[in-house]
Amino acid sequence: MIAATQNALSATGITKRFGGLVALADVDLTVGNGEFVALIGPNGAGKSTLLNVLTGLSAPTAGRIALDGRDVTRLPTHRRIRAGLGRTFQHGRLFPRLSVVENIMTGAANRAGRGEAGLRAHALAQLRRMGLERLADQPISALSYGNRRMVELTRVLACEPRVLLLDEPAAGLNLGEVEDLMARLRAIRAEDRIAVVLIEHNMGMVMRLAERVVVLNFGRKIAEGTPAEVQADPAVLAAYLGEGAAHAGR
Amino acid sequence: MRSVLVLSALILAGFALSFAVSEYTLRLLNMAVIAAVAVIGLNFAFGYAGLISLGHSAFVGLGAYGLAILTTKADWSPWLAAIPAVAGTGLAAAALGYPLLRLKGHYLALATLGLNVSFSIVASNWIELTGGTNGIAQIPGLTLAGYKLDGEQTFLWFGLAVLALLGLAALAIHASRLGRAMMAVRDDETAAAMTGIDVTGVSVTAFVLSAIYAAIAGCLFAAHVHFVSPDDFNYAHSITFLSMLIVGGEGSVAGAIVGAALLTFLPEWLRVLGEGYLAFFGLMMLAILVFLPTGIAGLLRRWRRPALPPQDTAAGLDGAVSR
Ligand SMILES: Nc1ncnc2c1ncn2[C@@H]1O[C@H](COP(=O)(O)OP(=O)(O)OP(=O)(O)O)[C@@H](O)[C@H]1O
Ligand SMILES: [Mg+2]
Repeated sequence: MIAATQNALSATGITKRFGGLVALADVDLTVGNGEFVALIGPNGAGKSTLLNVLTGLSAPTAGRIALDGRDVTRLPTHRRIRAGLGRTFQHGRLFPRLSVVENIMTGAANRAGRGEAGLRAHALAQLRRMGLERLADQPISALSYGNRRMVELTRVLACEPRVLLLDEPAAGLNLGEVEDLMARLRAIRAEDRIAVVLIEHNMGMVMRLAERVVVLNFGRKIAEGTPAEVQADPAVLAAYLGEGAAHAGR
Repeated sequence: MRSVLVLSALILAGFALSFAVSEYTLRLLNMAVIAAVAVIGLNFAFGYAGLISLGHSAFVGLGAYGLAILTTKADWSPWLAAIPAVAGTGLAAAALGYPLLRLKGHYLALATLGLNVSFSIVASNWIELTGGTNGIAQIPGLTLAGYKLDGEQTFLWFGLAVLALLGLAALAIHASRLGRAMMAVRDDETAAAMTGIDVTGVSVTAFVLSAIYAAIAGCLFAAHVHFVSPDDFNYAHSITFLSMLIVGGEGSVAGAIVGAALLTFLPEWLRVLGEGYLAFFGLMMLAILVFLPTGIAGLLRRWRRPALPPQDTAAGLDGAVSR
């Protein structure tokens, strides 16, 4: 099948059941090349579960996933990463036995044909771009929480993804760090034309960064559109504030 | 770089000792060197990739029996016999690794223990091939450029050279992308996969590397002692190898060597304790696991590098909890 405009990522009919619990019900998500999509929804809506399915950490009960038009539904995680998918975790996951630069070198090692020196140079360049080069030889245990999250972001960028999935990257950051993160994300997009899917509870950040917003609630997609459209959608208000508030708002 | 220096110092210490000690101590030093080769191997699986193996001794045995059978039944030279013995053991580890390494933690420990017990049963009962519980005797020794390596001292020199080479190779792997990948897999499998690391592939590679080192240790053992029997490779030896690695400090090549040497000599030094040695050994292991989880190597590292400023670490933990 030849699509007219190929999406960087497209997930169709994703359903995920955990026993009796339906964590995702027939969810579609498409992300265009270089597009910035925000994925929002109340706690437990299924946002992280969707990223788990997209990255192959958990198999969907039903549905298909394509990366650059290629079906990856059955590929193991590392093959999807090598095919251009990247992801950070809601709670930050670094390798504590490796130094900062070594953590980033694991990400850089995806691309074949780089020697040890080339890997290190690539990792240092990524750190420099994120303003973190002074941390290169620190052990992970010496980093502040905010820096850990930035190092994790740097590690995934060193994989040179075409589609970047970020799970609440601003959680736990202070205001200054959030501003810094937003500036970096803008710069990365402008330089690399990476498509981004951002899960975020910080609405200010969503409104300022996203071109399109997808709203999940109880595992279903309840709204999709520009930030302004979604903000005005009664179903979204209902999901966040409860049914009564939505009716009052009408 | 520093670890290369530490390794060289340990090898040189062994060399110097070879001129200063009794024949009996030389024999123990040889056993320590052979154990050190096996424990450096175990460090790939356990120290780097976090795979708990209680079957390491079976791979030592595969290498030793491979050499013993090919030299005594087929009259191969021990040098030539070592090649298929080691390669065959590596292949066996790869074949076993794919199904075994789906298991984690305690299950993997139990499965590898079972593997070791199976090895002992086969070695004791396949009498035509292995000689059963009588073992295989009269395994020829090594000859290097017309020079027989059969005295304790000469064999120790050869053993130290092998240990130095294999130690250097292990350090090179430690510092390579494979070494980082193994440590990443141990730290966090999911995050490792998320950086494009093939977790199964890296785990199996670590397991195969560990088996190759074990088989080389087995070949050294067979060529030095000239005799192998099932008891030399039972599961108790696997537990000893794991203890050596933990005492020395898992994740460190120098630690593996120090642990192997210490636990080879300790029972001799504590011979006065008689049966009480086992109780002492148990308590010592417990104390190390509780108070010194990074072993002797970890202790020395801490000495050299003072602890990190506590407030930074605390801030990191706080942030993680109260996001
Ligand atoms: N492995 C699992 N087994 C069982 N249930 C699960 C599992 N993972 C997630 N769930 C359930 O699926 C639902 C969706 O969880 P998910 O973590 O995707 O929510 P989320 O939208 O990311 O929420 P938050 O904003 O709190 O991170 C929740 O009810 C959760 O309890
Ligand atoms: Mg979540």
